[in-house]
Amino acid sequence: MLSSFKGRLVATAFGAALAAAALAQPAQAAEKVVVCALTFVSSSPLFIAADKGYYAEEGLEAEFKFFRAAQPVAVGIASGDCDFGVTAFTGGFFNLAGKGALKVIGAQSREEPGFDFVGFLASNQAYEAGLKSVEDLPGHSFGMTQVGSSFHYNIGLMADKFGWPDDAVALKPLQSVPNMIGAIKSGQVDSIALPAHIVAGLTGSGSAKLIGWVHDYTPWQLGGLFTSAKNVSERRPVVEAFVRAYQHAARDYHEAFNKLENGKRVFGSEAEALVPIIEKYTKAKPDAIYAGSPFIDPDGRLKVDQIYQQVAWMKKKGLVDESVDPKSFLDLSFISGHYGVPAN
Amino acid sequence: MSIGDSGKETSVRFRGGGFAPRPKRWASWLAFAVIISAWQIASMSGALPALFLPSPYEIALALQAIAADGTLARHLGASLGRIAWGWSLGTLAGLAVGISMGIWSLARSVGIPIVSALFPIPKIALLPLLILWFGIGEPSKVATILLGVFFPTVISAYSAVDNVPRNLIRMGQSFDMPYAQIVRKIVLPGAMPGILAGFRISSSIALILLVAAEMIGAEFGIGAFILSAGNLMQTDQLLAGVVLLSMLGLLISALLARLERRVLKWR
Repeated sequence: MLSSFKGRLVATAFGAALAAAALAQPAQAAEKVVVCALTFVSSSPLFIAADKGYYAEEGLEAEFKFFRAAQPVAVGIASGDCDFGVTAFTGGFFNLAGKGALKVIGAQSREEPGFDFVGFLASNQAYEAGLKSVEDLPGHSFGMTQVGSSFHYNIGLMADKFGWPDDAVALKPLQSVPNMIGAIKSGQVDSIALPAHIVAGLTGSGSAKLIGWVHDYTPWQLGGLFTSAKNVSERRPVVEAFVRAYQHAARDYHEAFNKLENGKRVFGSEAEALVPIIEKYTKAKPDAIYAGSPFIDPDGRLKVDQIYQQVAWMKKKGLVDESVDPKSFLDLSFISGHYGVPAN
Repeated sequence: MSIGDSGKETSVRFRGGGFAPRPKRWASWLAFAVIISAWQIASMSGALPALFLPSPYEIALALQAIAADGTLARHLGASLGRIAWGWSLGTLAGLAVGISMGIWSLARSVGIPIVSALFPIPKIALLPLLILWFGIGEPSKVATILLGVFFPTVISAYSAVDNVPRNLIRMGQSFDMPYAQIVRKIVLPGAMPGILAGFRISSSIALILLVAAEMIGAEFGIGAFILSAGNLMQTDQLLAGVVLLSMLGLLISALLARLERRVLKWR
């Protein structure tokens, strides 16, 4: 029963493919890809590529689907609703990737020295009581979105760097960024970590105090560009074309936002030209775009060793299953020049 | 024997009986066993990929792992404490309000519109407010469960009191029983079946609200465990947490059945 139904399905699909191929003959129709992302500045290369027509140059027709959290993007790739996605790496992402549905093929943003991205904030009460720097965090509470989130990893990196015991910082999952902001303002948690544009708002209004930037202590590979394992094995040319468009846009972004002069960031006319594009997709104000723009590698190269390190940390904390092996979900063949690739 | 149409005596078979379902223990166990083994077979044969649904064996392994390293006890302890406080306080308050509404006209006139207005509010929507009022510690979690339990208890207690047969009360009055005695010996025992049925509903609601209550700032608890497993895409642990909740539900239901047998002995 089932097999005959499957057979018919395959036959129909085959027929449809033939018909499509016949139709496509004269004008080489664009290949459709569904791109899933969050409307964050860290997804900018995706938007720049769309706006400047880089996808079309590569013969791709990109359709965007936007999500409100990182996890659904990864789930969308696994379920086949999305072809490409960029988000931060989380415990949930690694567990899903470990089941074989996803392949990480390039980089999103990373914490790079000199580029303020995620900062640690102390509540006014805790600051008065002596929480003046990241090193004072033991003995205090730390609010974050969820267990296994990038915020959770930020505090974990810090604990490893300074050798704090496991329960030195009391972790408080608060589910969402607005809840974190509410909790730090009212002093219900002593500290949180948030992206730079929100940090600027909170410190500017005197609602919280900045006590350190992540990149000053623990640079790491925040997120990646990924696709389904099926795309890698069955639509390799499409993936290659998409990566070229992504790199093209990432280089534009690099020219505009990745400049440092004497350790300070500078934004020139290139940035001014890109801000309206980013504004269109993220609905963020130009000030917030400048403040919240992370470092994005111009070629989408990953800091591979840092991904191994993150997976190892997540495993140690029981957040990622023992069976998950970064080697199985990293496909480094699409982009050359990745950093810190393990020898074997 | 009865008299038939023709006036002749005919024998008629006994037509009573039936319509009295009795629990057959083996049937409930068998149903569980069949469902779980069908699930396990589907997983093992590959028809059900682990990405979409982990097998019962994997769920059992996940349960065993948290039982072995002691986190299960911490999760259970934290959650049972919250449920015990939230449910008892909510039930006490609900019974007081509900029974007053069943007995006194003034309480009823004031209570019904207020309860009708507040009951349908999703308690999860109030979570941010509860956190502002009670902080992110234990009180806001207990308050979430308390609120969820309070309203159904009010309604079940009020309608249970309302359904006590009036002729029993009138009889008590004609025997010149004092008011307090009528309430204690006629109204409350008469309302007990309805109140206990309400307990079954409110205890389930307490379990449902556990996940919502532990959304904010909870490191331990079954709800927090389920949420973090969901965030981490650890579907085997997620379902292990769900199994824990159902087992708690079964346990509470068994306890209530015992209580019913004792309290309703007079029937």
